[in-house]
Amino acid sequence: MVVRDRAWSAWEGSVTPASRRFLVLTRYALKDVFESRVFLAFYILCLIPSAAALLAIYFSHNTQFLEQFGGIDSWFAKAPDWIFLHLFGWQAMPAFLVAVIATPPLIAADIGNNALQVILARPIGRREYVLGKMVVVFLLLSPITWVPGLLTFCLQAILAGGQWTAENLRIAVAFFVGHVVWILVVTMLCLAVSAWIRLAAFSRGALLAIFIISAVAGRLVNGVTRSSIGDLLHLSKAIESVVLRFFGATPPSGLPSPANWLTLVVVVLGALWVLNLRLRAVQEIK
Amino acid sequence: MQALTTSANLRARADTDGRNAPPLLEIQGLSVRLGGRIILDRLDATINGQIVGLLGPNGAGKTTLVRTLLGYFRPSSGNAFVLGHSLATAGRTVCSIIGYMPEDDAYISGMSAVRFVRMMGELSGLPPDAALERTHDALTFVGMGENRYRKVGSFSTGMKQMVKLAQALVHGPRFLLLDEPTNGLDPAARHRMLELIKDIGHEGKTGVLLSSHLLGDVEAVCDEVMILKAGRLAGRCDLASEHEAARTFVDLETLPPEPRFGSVLERLGCTVEDRGNGRFRVELPPDLNVRTLFSAAADQGLGLRRFERTRDSLQDIFMRAMEDDHGRS
Repeated sequence: MVVRDRAWSAWEGSVTPASRRFLVLTRYALKDVFESRVFLAFYILCLIPSAAALLAIYFSHNTQFLEQFGGIDSWFAKAPDWIFLHLFGWQAMPAFLVAVIATPPLIAADIGNNALQVILARPIGRREYVLGKMVVVFLLLSPITWVPGLLTFCLQAILAGGQWTAENLRIAVAFFVGHVVWILVVTMLCLAVSAWIRLAAFSRGALLAIFIISAVAGRLVNGVTRSSIGDLLHLSKAIESVVLRFFGATPPSGLPSPANWLTLVVVVLGALWVLNLRLRAVQEIK
Repeated sequence: MQALTTSANLRARADTDGRNAPPLLEIQGLSVRLGGRIILDRLDATINGQIVGLLGPNGAGKTTLVRTLLGYFRPSSGNAFVLGHSLATAGRTVCSIIGYMPEDDAYISGMSAVRFVRMMGELSGLPPDAALERTHDALTFVGMGENRYRKVGSFSTGMKQMVKLAQALVHGPRFLLLDEPTNGLDPAARHRMLELIKDIGHEGKTGVLLSSHLLGDVEAVCDEVMILKAGRLAGRCDLASEHEAARTFVDLETLPPEPRFGSVLERLGCTVEDRGNGRFRVELPPDLNVRTLFSAAADQGLGLRRFERTRDSLQDIFMRAMEDDHGRS
């Protein structure tokens, strides 16, 4: 057994760089998230669409395999086009569920018992605090979204050759930028809800409700006004439209691109407003 | 305003050239407004003591002062310097040298004490390994060694207070802000907490500002006391000197009540405080025999119905400060 003196001494060693200190919050939060084995199992399941896409791409270039399934006219031969058209959606939906499951305690746990006042008493500001929590969601969602998306693209590029890569480079950019935009919007929403609602179950419900209610409201307004103006309220349609434009596909929204961006910007600004309101060491009396 | 200094503390903070280091805390005309109300009003103070008590009635501005030092509230005017670092221009540096134990609960209930305190250490800049080692030291120091792997949410109030103290200490702050540290503690836990505060302060490297409305706590551990009233400094006292001086006070009451007996006592060399209705608090000169007081009373045809030896308690100092001209109650 270690015997320690009952005495206290000041720290006189070196300290870590202040610019990287927000990553402490990230590290601790990620460890908390993956402490649940159920969550870990679900997270691994979320990799299945990406793994299936990689396999399909590989087999679409395997002549022996193709001969057994109908040659170049088979589904497998045409798989890459189909995969790149749908992979984003296959990745986004489980990734959203990952965010809904994992993010509610991120800020709520710190606010719940006033831990924020001892965290913000350290040499770390509110911006760094939010940045630390944002990185958690980004690191959580990246391995199941844009990272395997780009890996799939790279595999296809290697197997299909330089010409295909040059002609379809837009897909890689769309995968990365589209997912980053999507992750940013989802991250801000999740953090705002986590800062606002303390109970995780209610937070999860609220996150789902935001998407469902915005969709219903958007459709209602569209129905009443017989226009597409309601798409301004339709959050998932706005995200989808922005992302599909990156891929060069036809967006579902009838509104022009800036209108879809406006929806996303308003959501992010709203989330920042909530965070600014809630993330205080102590609530100041106005 | 006179800065009160303990010699041991000055020695501890003197640099190698022999020049004195900056004071622990220097407050210059600090004003804070919250909700349109002035909470701190052009506060001026210099603190050099090793364990300094911050006293005041509820709403005097104690907690606001502590939170302003942490950067939670922006001063409307004035500034404060912690060990020479300006709050206005070096707020982050100030935060890095301060350890803060808040008044109310402050923990992450799902985390073990070790994990919580270690995270706080790392957020203050300790490398992960050092943070872990010092976390074990800090938790052992506050007497939480046996329970350190339990979740903080499952702790009793007293244990949570100790974890709060450990997280305030883990990074080895040079200035410790303790806001009502004995809140909700039973007598044994309160005694343990006060002993720990004494240990920390008297070890010499960490200055302590103890904000409390419990005079007994402050009197038990502090060298200096700063008394706030309505956001202003209403008084201060060097408790260490008071204790060392060991002055003798007597509370007495004449029968019948005779206000002029005070001047008789003053002629005997006593310092007299007339408390009305023939009651006096008398500070005796060192060479005066108390029998002389009885004789003086008999010479005036008076009896003494109350004669009680006492010392100038913090409560007296506090009450005087509350009635003082600086902030007449």
